[in-house]
Amino acid sequence: MPAHKQLNLTLRVWRQPDAGSRGEFRDYKLYSVSPEMSFLEMLDVLNEQLLEEGEEPVAFDHDCREGICGTCGVVINGQPHGPMQGTTTCQLHMRNFEDGDLIVIEPWRASAFPVVRDLVVNRSAFDRIIQAGGYVSVRTGQAPDGNAILVPSPDQAGAMDAAACIGCGACVAACKNASAMLFTAAKVSHLAQLPQGEPERKQRALQMIATHDEEGFGACTNTYECEAACPAEISVSHIARLNREYSKAMLTARQ
Amino acid sequence: MSWVTAALRSSVGKKFVMGITGLFLCGFLVIHLAGNLLLYIGDGTVYNEYAHKLHSNPILLFVAEVILFAGFLIHIYLAIVTNRENRAARGVRYAVKKTKREDRTVNLFGWTPDTTMFASGAVILGFLVVHLSDFKFGDIVHGERIAGLEPADKARILMSDAIRAGIYLVGSIFVGIHVSHGFWSAFQSLGVNHPKYNDWIRKVGIAFAIIVAVGFGSFFVWGISGGEVDPAVEEAPVGSSSVLETAPPRPDQYTQK
Repeated sequence: MPAHKQLNLTLRVWRQPDAGSRGEFRDYKLYSVSPEMSFLEMLDVLNEQLLEEGEEPVAFDHDCREGICGTCGVVINGQPHGPMQGTTTCQLHMRNFEDGDLIVIEPWRASAFPVVRDLVVNRSAFDRIIQAGGYVSVRTGQAPDGNAILVPSPDQAGAMDAAACIGCGACVAACKNASAMLFTAAKVSHLAQLPQGEPERKQRALQMIATHDEEGFGACTNTYECEAACPAEISVSHIARLNREYSKAMLTARQ
Repeated sequence: MSWVTAALRSSVGKKFVMGITGLFLCGFLVIHLAGNLLLYIGDGTVYNEYAHKLHSNPILLFVAEVILFAGFLIHIYLAIVTNRENRAARGVRYAVKKTKREDRTVNLFGWTPDTTMFASGAVILGFLVVHLSDFKFGDIVHGERIAGLEPADKARILMSDAIRAGIYLVGSIFVGIHVSHGFWSAFQSLGVNHPKYNDWIRKVGIAFAIIVAVGFGSFFVWGISGGEVDPAVEEAPVGSSSVLETAPPRPDQYTQK
């Protein structure tokens, strides 16, 4: 397909005025879509069109539009962030679609992520998991000497692999159990590999899993859909580390 | 809530116990298959001897059966509990759902072993009901009284029925499908994951699944082909069969319930 050929699309978009009401799919025709557009720009064009027609524009979340934050996550034709690997929705371009395509756009589906409006979901359950233990306690005051605690390079690299998680929720959206295990594991694994994470290590694993379960996320069946859907390509090996951290903490924590 | 109940109620804890009981049941499959394969040696005498030895100590047998049943019950209970919680965690279901993993080789219209563990487990549970009612609690099977018969003869009569043998074949295949995910998945749930041996666990899991499916499934062929290994046995007149003559005398404690 030549790059300049324009696309005529049918968009089947989830419309839901607010959390309390029942949603439904609505079909919209969109003509002459440039293949150079990003997916979000395509949605912008749709909203321009809807405004002209006097209809409510489609609400969708987005922030950086640079593939960094992951706020833009929606499920496109059944795949979180669309068909590309290691990509957020904003970095998905219309050249990956064909003329005449039907594109189904849904919000993340999870009881712990209630729909706010249309494609926007409330992801604050993730914040509460972080608040339960995804931090290290440090003294305030002057910035500490950066080289005071030495971290071996492989440990630092392993921690950074886990820290790459942007908390977009694609793992939950992709999981057949709507489990947030990859997200929780990334946070636990990140700090478990660093000396700074050591003092709160056991409480972190226990409390973050307790909060994960309280929020209503499912358990892990090891289908590894999360890893495949993750725009930051977080590995499921972090889930195994979380499992080790949790069982160790369960057996040895003082409380 | 004590730390034990907290652990067992957590999502990670439940999958941990699921993995432990799953691996325990895999161990049972190995022993069960090894025992069954004795049917292929000679005229069934070896299998009968093994079966009688197994039942010779009633206390040991009772303890072993209690542990085995506990393993099954915990595994099944956790499956039902997690399945219900996992469905509730999704809430509204997707209109369209498509995988982002293209590396699954066993894939039937999008159904893969890992996404259908509850369903394959349910089929196995159904099969287990048939299996136990046949061999453990069975009395009369298509007109023939099997209680009290020698174990090998019992197996022969049961498996000679094509429909019965077919049920056993389906059961064997589903056990193979179930462990093809369950075996390696248990290691991940227990936190055993390392590039050094991940590949190993996967390969052992696949080999184990094939051995279990083919090994148990082979009794379908054995059954519908008459269950005879030694042609000489088939020619012997009924009643004075060499099977019964060569079998050791059975003390009363061997009598099946």
